[in-house]
Amino acid sequence: MATVTPEMTTGKTSAMDYHALNAMLNLYGPDGKIQFEKDREAANQYFLQHVNQNTVFFHSLKEKLDYLVENDYYEKEVLDQYSFEFIKSLMKRAYGYKFRFPTFLGAFKYYTSYTLKTFDGKRYLERYEDRVVNVALALAAGDETLAEHIVDEVVNGRFQPATPTFLNAGKKQRGELVSCFLLRIEDNMESIGRSINSALQLSKRGGGVAFNLTNIREYGAPIKQIQNQSSGVIPVMKLFEDSFSYANQLGARQGAGAVYLQAHHPDIMRFLDTKRENADEKIRIKTLSLGVVVPDITFELAKKGEDMYLFSPYDVERVYGVPFSDISVTEKYHEMVDDPRITKTKINAREFFQTLAEIQFESGYPYIMFEDTVNRENPIDGRINMSNLCSEILQVNTPSTYDDDLDYVSVGKDISCNLGSMNIALSMDSPDFGKTVETAIRALTAVSDQSNIGSVPSIARGNDMSHAIGLGQMNLHGYLGRERIFYGSEEGIDFTNIYFYTVLFHALRASNRIAQEKGRTFEGFERSKYATGEFFDKYTEQEWKPATARVQELFDKAEIHIPTQDDWRELKALVQQHGIYNQNLQAVPPTGSISYINNSTSSIHPIAAKIEIRKEGKLGRVYYPAPFMTNDNLEYFQDAYEIGPEKIIDTYAAATQHVDQGLSLTLFFKDTATTRDINRAQIYAWRKGIKTIYYVRLRQLALEGTEVDGCVSCML
Amino acid sequence: MDTQETQASVFDDPIDAPALAEEAGPAIEADRAEIQEALDGAVQTEAQKRQHRHNHLVRAINWNRIEDEKDLEVWNRLVNNFWLPEKVPLSNDIQSWATLTEDEKLLTMRVFTGLTLLDTIQGTVGAVSLIPDAVTPHEEAVLTNIAFMESVHAKSYSSIFSTLASTKEIDDAFRWSTENPYLQRKAEIIIGYYEGDDPLKRKVASTLLESFMFYSGFYLPMHWSSRAKLTNTADMIRLIIRDEAVHGYYIGYKFQKGYEQLTPEKQAELKDYTYSLLYELYENESKYSAELYDPVGLTEDVKKFLHYNANKALMNLGFEPLFPSTVTDVNPAILSALSPNADENHDFFSGSGSSYVIGKAEATEDEDWDF
Repeated sequence: MATVTPEMTTGKTSAMDYHALNAMLNLYGPDGKIQFEKDREAANQYFLQHVNQNTVFFHSLKEKLDYLVENDYYEKEVLDQYSFEFIKSLMKRAYGYKFRFPTFLGAFKYYTSYTLKTFDGKRYLERYEDRVVNVALALAAGDETLAEHIVDEVVNGRFQPATPTFLNAGKKQRGELVSCFLLRIEDNMESIGRSINSALQLSKRGGGVAFNLTNIREYGAPIKQIQNQSSGVIPVMKLFEDSFSYANQLGARQGAGAVYLQAHHPDIMRFLDTKRENADEKIRIKTLSLGVVVPDITFELAKKGEDMYLFSPYDVERVYGVPFSDISVTEKYHEMVDDPRITKTKINAREFFQTLAEIQFESGYPYIMFEDTVNRENPIDGRINMSNLCSEILQVNTPSTYDDDLDYVSVGKDISCNLGSMNIALSMDSPDFGKTVETAIRALTAVSDQSNIGSVPSIARGNDMSHAIGLGQMNLHGYLGRERIFYGSEEGIDFTNIYFYTVLFHALRASNRIAQEKGRTFEGFERSKYATGEFFDKYTEQEWKPATARVQELFDKAEIHIPTQDDWRELKALVQQHGIYNQNLQAVPPTGSISYINNSTSSIHPIAAKIEIRKEGKLGRVYYPAPFMTNDNLEYFQDAYEIGPEKIIDTYAAATQHVDQGLSLTLFFKDTATTRDINRAQIYAWRKGIKTIYYVRLRQLALEGTEVDGCVSCML
Repeated sequence: MDTQETQASVFDDPIDAPALAEEAGPAIEADRAEIQEALDGAVQTEAQKRQHRHNHLVRAINWNRIEDEKDLEVWNRLVNNFWLPEKVPLSNDIQSWATLTEDEKLLTMRVFTGLTLLDTIQGTVGAVSLIPDAVTPHEEAVLTNIAFMESVHAKSYSSIFSTLASTKEIDDAFRWSTENPYLQRKAEIIIGYYEGDDPLKRKVASTLLESFMFYSGFYLPMHWSSRAKLTNTADMIRLIIRDEAVHGYYIGYKFQKGYEQLTPEKQAELKDYTYSLLYELYENESKYSAELYDPVGLTEDVKKFLHYNANKALMNLGFEPLFPSTVTDVNPAILSALSPNADENHDFFSGSGSSYVIGKAEATEDEDWDF
């Protein structure tokens, strides 16, 4: 996408340009209050001074659509599925809701990053409603009712498709609708070479790509039986880092990638050290994200203060006949320790955890995936051995094999996932909660059905087999604040539990309905815990209802039915009879950009600051007020550092039990924290059944006496 | 663990700091001699100081006996704030650099060259000249850290140059810095006071440099970043600002400590001196800013920013602000961008950010593993 960035003021600077108004949000007013009205004024000025002057004017919708199709802006095939009258009525419907951006950042982000622009990047061709209608038309693929439902949910802010879908759908010149890819790498040069190609191809198309390095033989392992030949995983990481920075989506943003490694891989410490601030340039990894796969056994060994053995993937594959990532380290640990055929080294388990925390202090990385928790909770047949760039995708995969010329001998199954998130506050206000969830599931399913990543056949095959989607949630903290409930309080956690419980029910029911309509399920349904009915046990054998009167009241007031055991029994029967269409249904992403457009707090995290400072390559520094926050309810908008890791983990644990994939969970610490505090939080998260940990964030405040006077984000 | 060791070794050997600054590129040939002279002066004073100590007793620095809590607090903060330019992915700004007009590029190059010169003075002359005046051994240690970081800053600008500009552009900019009368005047004034014999006057000069004079230059990257340009460069500058804020604050604090001891007459004289020095610098700074920023029409805004920071510098020294609030209403976009806190939110798509802290390692105990 070409971008429109505000030109530098080359004449006199006008004192009240919209950037300045927006920045005043971060400075207390003369009365000592946060100046929310300045931000709304900034949004207004942005339209007056910039957007309205730079929007192309058309006399009629007909003229506009003809122009956009003839000039290769809109995809003709999308519009041809509908009558002009319908499109016109859908536009009227969208504009009838009188959508307005409540914050400057929302409007600014939408117009700089999402809306359709002329090819020279100078003028806007769409307003927000136009984008929503075009997305709805594209996803509904000729289904008028679905198109109307999608417009209703998106314009009213209850459902927001993820960036790639919202940005690209319906445009002629576009990237893919899917955001996220996960690929295995096997222990051979063909697989490594193919994965570099995949990194380039997928970055070019706008995705974040994660690779699993666990199977690659370690530093010093034999090649063709000659000892001390392999260079291990670090040089492979370097290749990825360079590949991702080369493929940068027409300059829009750099490719982004993550690599995961099993904690018991012999290169694990070298892997972590690449993120050290003072690492040598040859091994330093700057932009690639790291993740570590930690099995239960590592915690057990650390508990006993013992050493942990690291196993050569090369030997493990020869002994077990399957790649290292496809065995359970916890299950085989002692067997492998005793097996003389497997080369091993050891490190102290507690020191490993401490190093993990040290690196997290310095760099925020690595992400952590609790391997055994993830696999215990996985309803699908197969093994999960990695996660993705945001640590919320958790799906099974299988290896591919290649010829010398990199053709596939057998195409395995790799993972893609398309995401979209519901706004919890607005969904609780929905006139029909079940329909909101169902529409979201259908919109996401449409993305899966319309995607075919031909450049990476294992991804295309995985998508065809699984129709996996990830319905996320955002604005939890905004909602709780609005209802005057503290994040992480008993009521806050109770709400999270019942909300996610209710969403799960409707998500499964929607997927079951789609399976009935299409007459097919995802491949492998019959081997899943859905088919055996085991998945439903915890809902049919136990009653789930609000534990606090306040939460019961919230659902009553919203007239949202909380599913009963009988509802679940009925659903179980339907699922066992007809199956479900989507192998995976939910995943809670961190929601950066889309939560600003949607006026949400990110994901189900607490806010990072009352007034958040957002810095992105395309935006510069912009200030964003927490949604629903006013000068009267500030106490409910404590930030994540004040709230601390424990309440965040408790909140996530309540949600996790109803989510089949993962939830991006960032841990926030004050600068008084030590590595031990981080370790304790990790142990607590693991014990509470958390599946993954995303970033670790530390806040350092300015030394007293050096801060900027009257700055909102500088004070507690 | 090794991170901390490496840092400790940095402070063990303060002589590294000037050496590192020498690498900072073709640093202003004309000034070399002058700086060297000043440096010699500082070394001489250091030798005298050693002699002085020899006559008494040499005391090993004991961090368990802190005479002034502020020393430890600032030391810890500086150590936690340690960073190197290699951390910031400046190359992500190359595309953004290409969108600047020729005037804007020239301005940016010159602004950074000016900052390089100031940091060179501060690293090789300024902070070093303050060391012999230190009252506590811990203060000496903090000052060595400050001196080293100033040299890191000087080197950072070279990283920006080599990433964004061609060798010819860089050489032109450095040549400009030796030929620009206002910039040279600025250096002259400050070096003059560093070489003088009054410890408190040295501190005044240093605080004004740290808290005031850098900011005509800092304005520009903050302006760019609020316009979504050169955002990674701005991140690096924000790291520098974060350091300078602490440096100015600390040296100002030490000034106040010494100032308290003076007789009222001496105090009045020193205060008078401070305001007249500030005025002298301000006058020069205004002309310098006008020459730089007039072509892009930002001078008025830069001046407000200068007023704001002049007041800030005076506050660091414990004096009343000079400029009324009517002329210090800095563009809020710039003011907000200044916030030295490490609290901005970013993710892997958004670049590195200026937030970075080194962790405190602490081993877990058995009770932590009680599950």
